Amino acid sequence: MRLTIEQTLHRIGRMLSERIAPDVSHEFVAQSARLSGGALNICANWIDDAAELRVEENAAIRAVLGEIAGVADGDLAARLGEAAASADPGLKLSVLDAENDLLRQLLVEAQGWLEAQDSPAAHALNAKVWGLLEEIESKRAPRE
Amino acid sequence: MEEDDLESRIAAYLDQQMPDARNVAVTGLSRIYGGSSQETYRYHAAWGEGSDRREGDFILRRDAAAGLVVAERDLEFTVYSALAGQPLPLPRVHFLELDTRWLDRPFFIMDLCPGRPGNPFDPNDPYEGNDASVARDFWTHLGTLAAIDHRAVGLEGLRNGAATGGFWQAELDRWEAILDEGETVIEPIVRGAIRWLRRNPPPEASKPAIVHGDYRSGNFLFTPEDGRVSALLDWEMCHIGDPLEDIAWAIDPFWPITRHMPLEDGLAIWEAASGLAVDRTALDWWRLFACVKACAIWTTAEASVASGESYEMIVALSGIRAGHFHRKQILAQMKALGAIA
Repeated sequence: MRLTIEQTLHRIGRMLSERIAPDVSHEFVAQSARLSGGALNICANWIDDAAELRVEENAAIRAVLGEIAGVADGDLAARLGEAAASADPGLKLSVLDAENDLLRQLLVEAQGWLEAQDSPAAHALNAKVWGLLEEIESKRAPRE
Repeated sequence: MEEDDLESRIAAYLDQQMPDARNVAVTGLSRIYGGSSQETYRYHAAWGEGSDRREGDFILRRDAAAGLVVAERDLEFTVYSALAGQPLPLPRVHFLELDTRWLDRPFFIMDLCPGRPGNPFDPNDPYEGNDASVARDFWTHLGTLAAIDHRAVGLEGLRNGAATGGFWQAELDRWEAILDEGETVIEPIVRGAIRWLRRNPPPEASKPAIVHGDYRSGNFLFTPEDGRVSALLDWEMCHIGDPLEDIAWAIDPFWPITRHMPLEDGLAIWEAASGLAVDRTALDWWRLFACVKACAIWTTAEASVASGESYEMIVALSGIRAGHFHRKQILAQMKALGAIA
Protein backbone atom coordinates (compact mmCIF):
# COMPACT_ATOMS: atom_id res chain seq x y z
CA MET A 1 0.00 0.00 0.00
CA ARG A 2 1.48 3.32 -1.07
CA LEU A 3 1.22 6.32 1.23
CA THR A 4 -0.62 9.11 -0.61
CA ILE A 5 -0.06 12.85 -0.25
CA GLU A 6 -3.48 13.10 1.35
CA GLN A 7 -2.74 10.41 3.93
CA THR A 8 0.66 11.87 4.70
CA LEU A 9 -0.76 15.33 5.34
CA HIS A 10 -3.47 13.84 7.56
CA ARG A 11 -0.90 11.93 9.61
CA ILE A 12 1.29 15.01 10.05
CA GLY A 13 -1.78 17.03 11.01
CA ARG A 14 -2.75 14.48 13.67
CA MET A 15 0.84 14.31 14.91
CA LEU A 16 0.87 18.07 15.40
CA SER A 17 -2.58 18.29 16.99
CA GLU A 18 -2.65 15.17 19.11
CA ARG A 19 0.95 14.37 20.03
CA ILE A 20 3.12 17.44 19.74
CA ALA A 21 0.72 20.20 20.91
CA PRO A 22 -0.22 18.52 24.23
CA ASP A 23 3.46 18.09 25.11
CA VAL A 24 4.44 21.70 24.43
CA SER A 25 4.43 23.79 27.59
CA HIS A 26 4.52 27.18 25.87
CA GLU A 27 0.85 28.04 25.39
CA PHE A 28 1.29 30.08 22.22
CA VAL A 29 3.49 27.45 20.55
CA ALA A 30 1.11 24.65 21.54
CA GLN A 31 -1.84 26.55 20.09
CA SER A 32 0.14 27.17 16.90
CA ALA A 33 0.83 23.44 16.64
CA ARG A 34 -2.87 22.63 17.06
CA LEU A 35 -3.86 25.19 14.42
CA SER A 36 -1.15 23.92 12.08
CA GLY A 37 -2.65 20.45 12.44
CA GLY A 38 -6.05 21.84 11.54
CA ALA A 39 -4.69 23.64 8.49
CA LEU A 40 -2.91 20.50 7.31
CA ASN A 41 -6.12 18.48 7.60
CA ILE A 42 -7.95 21.01 5.43
CA CYS A 43 -5.13 20.84 2.87
CA ALA A 44 -5.23 17.04 2.97
CA ASN A 45 -8.96 17.04 2.27
CA TRP A 46 -8.44 19.42 -0.63
CA ILE A 47 -5.61 17.64 -2.39
CA ASP A 48 -7.13 14.58 -4.07
CA ASP A 49 -9.61 16.32 -6.35
CA ALA A 50 -7.88 19.73 -6.48
CA ALA A 51 -7.02 19.50 -10.20
CA GLU A 52 -10.38 18.01 -11.15
CA LEU A 53 -12.26 20.73 -9.27
CA ARG A 54 -10.31 23.49 -11.05
CA VAL A 55 -10.65 21.89 -14.49
CA GLU A 56 -14.41 21.55 -14.02
CA GLU A 57 -14.74 25.07 -12.66
CA ASN A 58 -12.79 26.56 -15.56
CA ALA A 59 -14.95 24.62 -18.02
CA ALA A 60 -18.14 25.84 -16.36
CA ILE A 61 -16.95 29.46 -16.46
CA ARG A 62 -15.96 29.12 -20.15
CA ALA A 63 -19.42 27.76 -20.94
CA VAL A 64 -21.20 30.70 -19.35
CA LEU A 65 -18.76 33.19 -20.90
CA GLY A 66 -19.67 31.66 -24.28
CA GLU A 67 -23.35 32.24 -23.57
CA ILE A 68 -22.72 35.85 -22.60
CA ALA A 69 -20.63 36.33 -25.76
CA GLY A 70 -23.81 35.49 -27.66
CA VAL A 71 -25.63 38.55 -26.32
CA ALA A 72 -22.68 40.94 -25.89
CA ASP A 73 -21.19 43.00 -28.67
CA GLY A 74 -17.94 44.48 -29.89
CA ASP A 75 -14.64 43.89 -28.17
CA LEU A 76 -16.21 42.30 -25.09
CA ALA A 77 -18.04 39.71 -27.17
CA ALA A 78 -14.83 38.88 -29.02
CA ARG A 79 -12.82 38.45 -25.82
CA LEU A 80 -15.55 36.35 -24.20
CA GLY A 81 -15.80 34.18 -27.31
CA GLU A 82 -12.06 33.69 -27.35
CA ALA A 83 -12.02 32.69 -23.67
CA ALA A 84 -14.95 30.33 -24.17
CA ALA A 85 -12.98 28.51 -26.86
CA SER A 86 -9.76 28.35 -24.83
CA ALA A 87 -8.37 25.36 -22.93
CA ASP A 88 -6.38 24.95 -19.73
CA PRO A 89 -2.69 25.31 -20.60
CA GLY A 90 -1.62 22.59 -18.15
CA LEU A 91 -2.64 20.54 -15.13
CA LYS A 92 -0.38 21.94 -12.43
CA LEU A 93 -2.49 23.57 -9.72
CA SER A 94 -0.56 26.82 -10.14
CA VAL A 95 -1.31 26.82 -13.88
CA LEU A 96 -4.97 26.00 -13.33
CA ASP A 97 -5.25 28.70 -10.68
CA ALA A 98 -3.70 31.31 -12.97
CA GLU A 99 -6.11 30.32 -15.74
CA ASN A 100 -8.97 30.36 -13.23
CA ASP A 101 -8.09 33.92 -12.24
CA LEU A 102 -8.09 35.05 -15.90
CA LEU A 103 -11.49 33.46 -16.48
CA ARG A 104 -12.90 34.89 -13.26
CA GLN A 105 -11.64 38.37 -14.19
CA LEU A 106 -13.53 38.10 -17.45
CA LEU A 107 -16.59 36.80 -15.62
CA VAL A 108 -16.53 39.84 -13.33
CA GLU A 109 -16.33 42.14 -16.33
CA ALA A 110 -19.07 40.25 -18.15
CA GLN A 111 -21.33 40.31 -15.13
CA GLY A 112 -20.84 44.06 -14.77
CA TRP A 113 -21.91 44.41 -18.39
CA LEU A 114 -24.95 42.15 -17.88
CA GLU A 115 -26.08 44.20 -14.91
CA ALA A 116 -26.05 47.33 -17.05
CA GLN A 117 -28.39 45.77 -19.63
CA ASP A 118 -32.15 45.99 -19.46
CA SER A 119 -33.14 42.84 -21.27
CA PRO A 120 -34.68 39.57 -20.11
CA ALA A 121 -31.83 37.65 -21.75
CA ALA A 122 -29.21 39.61 -19.79
CA HIS A 123 -31.14 39.21 -16.55
CA ALA A 124 -31.45 35.47 -17.11
CA LEU A 125 -27.75 35.13 -17.83
CA ASN A 126 -26.85 37.18 -14.78
CA ALA A 127 -28.99 34.90 -12.63
CA LYS A 128 -27.23 31.94 -14.18
CA VAL A 129 -23.83 33.43 -13.29
CA TRP A 130 -24.89 33.93 -9.67
CA GLY A 131 -26.07 30.32 -9.57
CA LEU A 132 -22.69 29.19 -10.87
CA LEU A 133 -20.86 31.31 -8.29
CA GLU A 134 -22.92 29.78 -5.50
CA GLU A 135 -22.09 26.30 -6.78
CA ILE A 136 -18.38 27.14 -7.00
CA GLU A 137 -18.37 28.48 -3.44
CA SER A 138 -19.93 25.28 -2.14
CA LYS A 139 -17.42 23.08 -3.93
CA ARG A 140 -14.52 25.20 -2.69
CA ALA A 141 -15.63 25.10 0.95
CA PRO A 142 -12.92 24.20 3.48
CA ARG A 143 -13.26 20.50 4.32
CA GLU A 144 -12.51 20.15 8.00
CA MET B 1 12.85 31.76 24.20
CA GLU B 2 12.49 35.22 22.69
CA GLU B 3 10.58 36.30 25.82
CA ASP B 4 13.72 36.20 27.99
CA ASP B 5 15.52 38.50 25.61
CA LEU B 6 12.50 40.80 25.37
CA GLU B 7 12.25 41.19 29.14
CA SER B 8 15.74 42.65 29.38
CA ARG B 9 15.22 44.82 26.31
CA ILE B 10 11.96 46.22 27.69
CA ALA B 11 13.65 46.89 31.03
CA ALA B 12 16.41 48.77 29.21
CA TYR B 13 13.82 50.82 27.37
CA LEU B 14 11.87 51.66 30.53
CA ASP B 15 15.08 52.60 32.27
CA GLN B 16 15.76 55.13 29.54
CA GLN B 17 12.16 56.41 29.45
CA MET B 18 11.84 56.89 33.21
CA PRO B 19 14.84 58.91 34.38
CA ASP B 20 13.63 58.88 38.00
CA ALA B 21 13.33 55.09 38.07
CA ARG B 22 15.99 52.83 39.55
CA ASN B 23 16.53 49.09 39.17
CA VAL B 24 13.78 48.52 36.60
CA ALA B 25 12.92 44.83 36.51
CA VAL B 26 10.64 43.22 33.94
CA THR B 27 9.37 39.73 34.70
CA GLY B 28 6.65 37.31 33.69
CA LEU B 29 6.54 38.36 30.05
CA SER B 30 4.14 36.20 28.07
CA ARG B 31 2.54 36.54 24.71
CA ILE B 32 -1.24 36.82 24.63
CA TYR B 33 -2.55 34.51 21.98
CA GLY B 34 -5.00 35.94 19.47
CA GLY B 35 -3.34 39.28 18.84
CA SER B 36 -3.15 38.51 15.17
CA SER B 37 -2.94 42.09 13.94
CA GLN B 38 -0.26 43.09 16.42
CA GLU B 39 1.87 41.07 18.79
CA THR B 40 0.54 41.51 22.31
CA TYR B 41 2.55 40.74 25.46
CA ARG B 42 1.81 41.15 29.13
CA TYR B 43 4.50 41.67 31.73
CA HIS B 44 5.11 42.79 35.28
CA ALA B 45 7.43 45.71 35.96
CA ALA B 46 8.89 46.85 39.26
CA TRP B 47 11.18 49.78 39.94
CA GLY B 48 12.35 52.14 42.62
CA GLU B 49 11.43 55.81 42.57
CA GLY B 50 12.73 58.04 45.34
CA SER B 51 12.14 56.09 48.51
CA ASP B 52 9.19 54.21 47.01
CA ARG B 53 9.00 50.84 45.36
CA ARG B 54 6.55 50.82 42.43
CA GLU B 55 5.17 48.01 40.35
CA GLY B 56 2.42 47.19 37.91
CA ASP B 57 1.15 44.93 35.15
CA PHE B 58 1.37 46.20 31.62
CA ILE B 59 0.60 45.37 28.01
CA LEU B 60 3.07 45.84 25.19
CA ARG B 61 1.69 45.97 21.66
CA ARG B 62 4.30 45.51 18.98
CA ASP B 63 3.82 45.69 15.22
CA ALA B 64 3.58 42.23 13.73
CA ALA B 65 6.05 41.31 11.01
CA ALA B 66 2.88 40.82 8.94
CA GLY B 67 -0.72 40.38 9.84
CA LEU B 68 -4.29 40.80 8.83
CA VAL B 69 -4.28 44.47 8.01
CA VAL B 70 -1.32 46.80 8.12
CA ALA B 71 -2.25 49.43 10.64
CA GLU B 72 -0.93 52.92 10.99
CA ARG B 73 1.70 52.51 13.67
CA ASP B 74 0.75 55.22 16.09
CA LEU B 75 -2.97 55.10 15.43
CA GLU B 76 -4.04 52.96 18.36
CA PHE B 77 -1.89 54.93 20.80
CA THR B 78 -3.28 58.19 19.42
CA VAL B 79 -6.86 57.03 19.84
CA TYR B 80 -6.36 55.76 23.38
CA SER B 81 -4.71 59.06 24.29
CA ALA B 82 -7.44 61.17 22.70
CA LEU B 83 -10.29 59.24 24.31
CA ALA B 84 -8.82 59.25 27.81
CA GLY B 85 -11.33 61.01 30.03
CA GLN B 86 -14.33 59.97 27.95
CA PRO B 87 -16.91 57.72 29.65
CA LEU B 88 -15.46 54.63 28.00
CA PRO B 89 -13.44 51.83 29.62
CA LEU B 90 -10.03 52.21 28.02
CA PRO B 91 -6.52 51.32 29.12
CA ARG B 92 -4.19 54.14 30.12
CA VAL B 93 -1.32 54.41 27.64
CA HIS B 94 2.24 55.27 28.66
CA PHE B 95 4.82 55.16 25.87
CA LEU B 96 4.77 55.01 22.08
CA GLU B 97 8.07 54.06 20.49
CA LEU B 98 8.60 54.18 16.74
CA ASP B 99 12.38 53.72 16.90
CA THR B 100 13.05 50.09 15.94
CA ARG B 101 16.37 49.86 17.80
CA TRP B 102 14.63 48.97 21.04
CA LEU B 103 12.43 46.01 20.10
CA ASP B 104 13.01 45.64 16.34
CA ARG B 105 9.58 47.00 15.50
CA PRO B 106 7.44 49.93 16.72
CA PHE B 107 5.46 49.33 19.90
CA PHE B 108 3.52 51.02 22.64
CA ILE B 109 2.92 50.28 26.30
CA MET B 110 -0.34 50.55 28.23
CA ASP B 111 -1.88 49.36 31.48
CA LEU B 112 -3.11 45.81 31.77
CA CYS B 113 -6.86 46.18 32.34
CA PRO B 114 -8.83 43.84 34.57
CA GLY B 115 -11.06 41.20 33.02
CA ARG B 116 -10.85 38.70 30.24
CA PRO B 117 -12.10 38.44 26.68
CA GLY B 118 -15.10 36.32 25.86
CA ASN B 119 -14.32 33.96 23.03
CA PRO B 120 -16.83 34.79 20.28
CA PHE B 121 -16.45 31.26 18.91
CA ASP B 122 -17.34 29.59 22.20
CA PRO B 123 -20.75 28.04 21.45
CA ASN B 124 -21.66 27.84 25.11
CA ASP B 125 -21.42 30.73 27.54
CA PRO B 126 -18.46 33.02 26.78
CA TYR B 127 -19.61 35.67 29.25
CA GLU B 128 -20.17 33.26 32.12
CA GLY B 129 -23.83 34.04 32.75
CA ASN B 130 -23.45 37.77 32.18
CA ASP B 131 -24.87 37.98 28.66
CA ALA B 132 -27.37 40.73 29.37
CA SER B 133 -25.09 43.08 31.30
CA VAL B 134 -22.13 42.57 28.95
CA ALA B 135 -24.32 43.19 25.90
CA ARG B 136 -25.87 46.26 27.55
CA ASP B 137 -22.43 47.73 28.18
CA PHE B 138 -21.32 46.75 24.68
CA TRP B 139 -24.14 48.72 23.05
CA THR B 140 -23.94 51.63 25.50
CA HIS B 141 -20.22 52.13 24.87
CA LEU B 142 -20.68 51.94 21.12
CA GLY B 143 -23.40 54.57 21.33
CA THR B 144 -21.24 56.75 23.56
CA LEU B 145 -18.41 56.51 21.06
CA ALA B 146 -20.72 57.59 18.24
CA ALA B 147 -21.79 60.65 20.22
CA ILE B 148 -18.24 61.99 20.66
CA ASP B 149 -17.19 64.90 18.44
CA HIS B 150 -13.93 63.62 16.93
CA ARG B 151 -12.65 67.15 16.34
CA ALA B 152 -13.21 68.11 19.96
CA VAL B 153 -10.92 65.28 21.11
CA GLY B 154 -8.26 65.95 18.49
CA LEU B 155 -8.92 63.01 16.19
CA GLU B 156 -9.40 64.94 12.94
CA GLY B 157 -6.11 63.39 11.81
CA LEU B 158 -7.70 59.96 11.52
CA ARG B 159 -8.62 58.63 8.08
CA ASN B 160 -11.59 60.65 6.70
CA GLY B 161 -11.16 63.02 9.64
CA ALA B 162 -11.62 66.14 7.56
CA ALA B 163 -14.58 64.81 5.58
CA THR B 164 -18.17 65.71 6.30
CA GLY B 165 -19.72 63.00 4.12
CA GLY B 166 -19.05 60.40 1.47
CA PHE B 167 -17.87 57.91 4.09
CA TRP B 168 -19.48 54.90 2.45
CA GLN B 169 -17.67 55.58 -0.79
CA ALA B 170 -14.32 56.27 0.86
CA GLU B 171 -14.48 53.04 2.85
CA LEU B 172 -15.73 50.95 -0.06
CA ASP B 173 -12.92 52.35 -2.25
CA ARG B 174 -10.40 51.55 0.46
CA TRP B 175 -11.40 47.93 0.90
CA GLU B 176 -11.76 47.33 -2.82
CA ALA B 177 -8.20 48.62 -3.28
CA ILE B 178 -7.01 46.21 -0.57
CA LEU B 179 -8.74 43.38 -2.44
CA ASP B 180 -7.13 44.48 -5.71
CA GLU B 181 -3.74 44.36 -4.07
CA GLY B 182 -4.11 41.09 -2.19
CA GLU B 183 -6.18 38.76 -4.37
CA THR B 184 -4.29 36.28 -6.50
CA VAL B 185 -7.53 34.67 -7.64
CA ILE B 186 -10.34 37.19 -7.89
CA GLU B 187 -13.60 36.41 -6.08
CA PRO B 188 -16.56 37.34 -8.32
CA ILE B 189 -19.01 37.04 -5.42
CA VAL B 190 -17.22 39.82 -3.54
CA ARG B 191 -16.93 41.94 -6.67
CA GLY B 192 -20.63 41.46 -7.34
CA ALA B 193 -21.42 42.68 -3.85
CA ILE B 194 -19.23 45.76 -4.40
CA ARG B 195 -21.07 46.59 -7.63
CA TRP B 196 -24.41 46.27 -5.84
CA LEU B 197 -23.22 48.48 -3.00
CA ARG B 198 -22.15 51.15 -5.49
CA ARG B 199 -25.45 50.99 -7.39
CA ASN B 200 -27.47 51.23 -4.17
CA PRO B 201 -25.64 53.73 -1.95
CA PRO B 202 -26.86 54.40 1.59
CA PRO B 203 -27.92 57.84 2.76
CA GLU B 204 -25.23 60.11 4.17
CA ALA B 205 -24.17 59.35 7.72
CA SER B 206 -26.25 60.98 10.44
CA LYS B 207 -22.95 62.48 11.61
CA PRO B 208 -19.22 61.92 11.14
CA ALA B 209 -18.42 59.52 13.97
CA ILE B 210 -15.40 57.84 15.47
CA VAL B 211 -15.63 54.33 14.04
CA HIS B 212 -13.70 51.75 16.05
CA GLY B 213 -13.33 49.61 12.92
CA ASP B 214 -13.25 46.22 14.66
CA TYR B 215 -15.88 46.57 17.38
CA ARG B 216 -17.02 43.04 18.10
CA SER B 217 -17.11 40.14 20.53
CA GLY B 218 -13.53 39.18 21.28
CA ASN B 219 -12.18 42.73 21.18
CA PHE B 220 -13.20 43.78 24.68
CA LEU B 221 -12.65 42.53 28.20
CA PHE B 222 -15.32 41.81 30.79
CA THR B 223 -15.11 41.17 34.51
CA PRO B 224 -17.04 38.01 35.45
CA GLU B 225 -17.62 39.12 39.03
CA ASP B 226 -19.86 42.03 38.03
CA GLY B 227 -20.57 41.25 34.37
CA ARG B 228 -19.30 44.62 33.16
CA VAL B 229 -17.24 45.46 30.08
CA SER B 230 -13.90 46.54 31.55
CA ALA B 231 -11.90 47.53 28.46
CA LEU B 232 -12.49 48.26 24.78
CA LEU B 233 -9.46 47.11 22.81
CA ASP B 234 -7.98 46.68 19.33
CA TRP B 235 -8.46 50.12 17.82
CA GLU B 236 -5.97 49.72 14.99
CA MET B 237 -8.63 50.12 12.28
CA CYS B 238 -10.18 53.21 13.86
CA HIS B 239 -11.25 55.99 11.49
CA ILE B 240 -13.95 58.58 10.99
CA GLY B 241 -17.07 57.41 9.23
CA ASP B 242 -20.68 56.37 9.46
CA PRO B 243 -21.48 55.01 12.93
CA LEU B 244 -23.60 52.32 11.30
CA GLU B 245 -20.37 50.72 10.09
CA ASP B 246 -19.49 49.64 13.64
CA ILE B 247 -23.04 48.41 14.33
CA ALA B 248 -23.02 46.27 11.19
CA TRP B 249 -19.61 44.85 12.11
CA ALA B 250 -20.75 44.07 15.65
CA ILE B 251 -23.72 42.03 14.45
CA ASP B 252 -21.90 40.20 11.66
CA PRO B 253 -22.82 36.52 12.03
CA PHE B 254 -19.17 35.51 12.37
CA TRP B 255 -19.05 37.03 15.89
CA PRO B 256 -22.59 38.31 16.54
CA ILE B 257 -23.31 40.19 19.73
CA THR B 258 -26.94 39.37 18.91
CA ARG B 259 -26.25 35.95 20.41
CA HIS B 260 -26.35 37.68 23.76
CA MET B 261 -29.10 40.28 23.27
CA PRO B 262 -31.79 40.64 20.58
CA LEU B 263 -30.82 43.13 17.88
CA GLU B 264 -33.69 45.56 18.46
CA ASP B 265 -32.92 45.72 22.20
CA GLY B 266 -29.29 46.47 21.43
CA LEU B 267 -30.16 49.13 18.85
CA ALA B 268 -32.48 50.83 21.36
CA ILE B 269 -29.62 51.05 23.87
CA TRP B 270 -27.30 52.40 21.17
CA GLU B 271 -29.86 55.01 20.11
CA ALA B 272 -30.31 56.18 23.70
CA ALA B 273 -26.55 56.46 24.26
CA SER B 274 -25.73 58.11 20.95
CA GLY B 275 -28.77 60.34 20.55
CA LEU B 276 -28.96 59.10 16.97
CA ALA B 277 -31.53 56.99 15.14
CA VAL B 278 -30.60 53.82 13.30
CA ASP B 279 -31.82 53.78 9.70
CA ARG B 280 -32.58 50.06 9.30
CA THR B 281 -32.38 50.17 5.50
CA ALA B 282 -29.01 51.88 5.63
CA LEU B 283 -27.91 49.31 8.20
CA ASP B 284 -28.63 46.57 5.65
CA TRP B 285 -26.21 48.30 3.26
CA TRP B 286 -23.55 48.41 5.96
CA ARG B 287 -24.11 44.73 6.80
CA LEU B 288 -23.28 43.76 3.25
CA PHE B 289 -20.36 46.18 3.32
CA ALA B 290 -19.14 44.42 6.50
CA CYS B 291 -18.92 41.15 4.58
CA VAL B 292 -16.89 42.81 1.82
CA LYS B 293 -14.59 44.39 4.40
CA ALA B 294 -14.17 41.03 6.12
CA CYS B 295 -13.31 39.35 2.81
CA ALA B 296 -10.66 42.01 2.19
CA ILE B 297 -9.17 41.39 5.63
CA TRP B 298 -9.10 37.63 5.04
CA THR B 299 -7.44 38.28 1.69
CA THR B 300 -4.61 40.17 3.38
CA ALA B 301 -4.33 37.28 5.82
CA GLU B 302 -3.94 34.78 2.99
CA ALA B 303 -1.50 37.03 1.17
CA SER B 304 0.74 37.49 4.20
CA VAL B 305 0.97 33.73 4.76
CA ALA B 306 1.41 33.00 1.05
CA SER B 307 4.28 35.48 0.80
CA GLY B 308 5.99 34.00 3.85
CA GLU B 309 5.73 37.26 5.79
CA SER B 310 3.52 35.59 8.37
CA TYR B 311 3.82 32.15 9.96
CA GLU B 312 0.87 32.67 12.28
CA MET B 313 -1.51 29.75 11.87
CA ILE B 314 -4.44 31.81 13.18
CA VAL B 315 -3.83 34.11 10.22
CA ALA B 316 -3.67 31.19 7.77
CA LEU B 317 -6.89 29.68 9.05
CA SER B 318 -8.60 33.08 8.99
CA GLY B 319 -7.85 33.25 5.29
CA ILE B 320 -9.11 29.74 4.61
CA ARG B 321 -12.19 29.44 6.80
CA ALA B 322 -13.44 32.97 7.25
CA GLY B 323 -13.16 33.94 3.59
CA HIS B 324 -15.52 31.14 2.66
CA PHE B 325 -17.88 32.04 5.51
CA HIS B 326 -18.20 35.64 4.40
CA ARG B 327 -18.66 34.84 0.72
CA LYS B 328 -21.53 32.55 1.72
CA GLN B 329 -22.83 35.37 3.89
CA ILE B 330 -22.69 37.77 0.94
CA LEU B 331 -24.83 35.36 -1.08
CA ALA B 332 -27.34 35.07 1.77
CA GLN B 333 -27.55 38.82 2.32
CA MET B 334 -27.89 39.61 -1.37
CA LYS B 335 -30.77 37.14 -1.55
CA ALA B 336 -32.38 38.79 1.45
CA LEU B 337 -31.98 42.19 -0.23
CA GLY B 338 -33.58 40.85 -3.40
CA ALA B 339 -30.36 41.55 -5.31
CA ILE B 340 -30.12 37.94 -6.51
CA ALA B 341 -32.59 35.11 -6.79
